[in-house]
Amino acid sequence: MAQDKLLKIHNLHKSYGDLEIFKGLTLSMDRGDRLVIIGPSGGGKSTLLRIVMGLEDIVGGDIYMDGKPYILRDGAKTKIDRKLQARVGMVFQHYTLFPHLDILRNLTLAPVKTRGMSRAEAEEKAMGLLTRFGLDAKARAYPSQLSGGQKQRVAIARALMLDPDLLLFDEVTSALDPELVAEVEAVMMELAEAGMPMMIVTHDMHFARNIASRVVFAAGGVVVEDGPPEQVLDAPQVARTREFVERVFAKKR
Amino acid sequence: MMHFDPMVPFKYWDALLIGLWMSLRLTLICLALGIALGFLTSQARRSRFMPLRALATFYVELFRGTPVLIQLFWIFYCLPLLLGFEPGNFASAVVALTLYAGAITSETFRASLKSIPREQYDTCRALGITGMSLALWVVLPQALLRAIPTLLSNAVALFKESALISAVGMADLMFIGSSISNRTGRPVEMLTAIAVIYFAVAFPLTRIVGRVEARILRRLAV
Ligand SMILES: Nc1ncnc2c1ncn2[C@@H]1O[C@H](COP(=O)(O)OP(=O)(O)OP(=O)(O)O)[C@@H](O)[C@H]1O
Ligand SMILES: [Mg+2]
Repeated sequence: MAQDKLLKIHNLHKSYGDLEIFKGLTLSMDRGDRLVIIGPSGGGKSTLLRIVMGLEDIVGGDIYMDGKPYILRDGAKTKIDRKLQARVGMVFQHYTLFPHLDILRNLTLAPVKTRGMSRAEAEEKAMGLLTRFGLDAKARAYPSQLSGGQKQRVAIARALMLDPDLLLFDEVTSALDPELVAEVEAVMMELAEAGMPMMIVTHDMHFARNIASRVVFAAGGVVVEDGPPEQVLDAPQVARTREFVERVFAKKR
Repeated sequence: MMHFDPMVPFKYWDALLIGLWMSLRLTLICLALGIALGFLTSQARRSRFMPLRALATFYVELFRGTPVLIQLFWIFYCLPLLLGFEPGNFASAVVALTLYAGAITSETFRASLKSIPREQYDTCRALGITGMSLALWVVLPQALLRAIPTLLSNAVALFKESALISAVGMADLMFIGSSISNRTGRPVEMLTAIAVIYFAVAFPLTRIVGRVEARILRRLAV
C-alpha cells in the first residue's frame, strides 16, 4: 500500500545476556527518508543496524517492511523473512572486502552466486558502478592495493549491486584517515540525491546535518528525540538530546 | 685410519639420485593426499555430529603425539593384518606418511579457518551469500590462502621425516646412502653427502616459505 512505511520498528527489545540494549524502541521510516542515528557510544546504534540487516536475534517486538512482517519474535525464536532481508544492504566500518578476489569479483560474487545473474550482466553492472564512483581503473586490483577511501567506496558499490531498497551505513568513515573521509561522504551524498533510502550511523555532525532528512537520537534503549536535523541538532526539544549534542559539538571544536 | 675423501659419494651419484627421486615422489604423493585428508579432518572437527568430531580429534592427537617411526612400523605390521593381503612396501609407506601428513595439515587448516575474521561472515550474510556458496567461494579460498605458508613448512617437515621409511626397507635417499656407506665403509663421506642433498632440497623451500608468507600477508591485509 502506498501509505505503508518502508520500515517500521515497533516495541523492539534486545539484550546481550543481562545487558539490555533496547527497551521498547519504536521507529519508522518513509521511502524518501535518510535517517541519521546518533547516540552515546555503546548505546546500541550498531546493534540496531545489525538487527535491521537480519544479523541479530531479538528478544521482543517486530519490524515491518512495506507493511509486511520482516522480523518477528515467534515464541523462543527470531523469525526473519529472507525475501525482505534481501532488499536490505549494509556497509560496515571496516569495509570487509573479500581479500582473495579482485575488485570486479568482489562486486559480482553475490549477484552471480546467489541471485543467478549471468557473469556478463554482473560485470557490466559492476563496471557501471565503478565508473560512477571513479574506480573503473581499479577493477582488476586487489583490495590490499586500495586506499581506505577506495575500499569503502567499493564496499558501497558491492552493496548496490543487489539493488537494495534500504542501505545501512555503520560509521563507514570512522576507520578512515581524515583526508579520505570526503570522497566516501561524497558518494553517499550522491546516493542521497538519487533518492536512496538510508539509515546512517555517524559521529560526524556536519555530515549528519548535510545528508539527513531526519535525525534520531537514541539513548537508554529508546528513541529520545526524532525530527529534522534543524531541530535535533540545532534546537533539540529534549534536555538529554541537548546535553549530548552540545557535548559532541564541544569535542569537535 | 682412512682419510676423508670427499670424492667417494660422487662415484655413486646415480644411485643417490634414484633414492632422492623415491624420497621426493613419496613426499609429493603423501603431501597431496595428506592435504586432502587434513582439510576433511579439519571440517570433521567442526562437525555438529559428536562421534565424528571425537574420531577426528582422536586421530589427530594420536598421530601428532606419537613418534612417526612407531606409526610407520605399526602400519607396516598392521596393514596386512587389517587388509588380509600384503599391500607392498610402497603402499604401506604412502598410507603411513599420509596419515601423519593429514594429522599435521588438519591443524594448519584449523588455525587458518579460525583466522578468518567474523566480519567476513556478517558481510556474506548481508549479501545473501550463505551455505555452500559461503563455504566454497569465501571460506575455502581464504582458508587455503592463509594456510599456504604453513603447508609449505609442513612439506619440508614431511620431506625430512620421509627418511624414516628407510627403516622399513624402502629404497629412498636415506636407505641407499646408508647401504652404500655400509658397503664402502665410508660412513662420514656418505652421511655428509646425504645431509647435503636433503639440505639442498629443503633449504630453498624454507626460503620460499618466508617469501610466500610475506606476499600472502600483504594480500590479506585489508
Ligand atoms: N555480540 C555481543 N555480545 C555481547 N555484548 C555486545 C555484543 N555486541 C555489542 N554488545 C554490547 O552492546 C552494547 C551496544 O553495542 P553497539 O555496538 O550496538 O553500540 P554502539 O552504539 O554502536 O557504540 P559505538 O558508538 O561505540 O559504536 C555495548 O555495550 C556492547 O558492548
Ligand atoms: Mg557502533
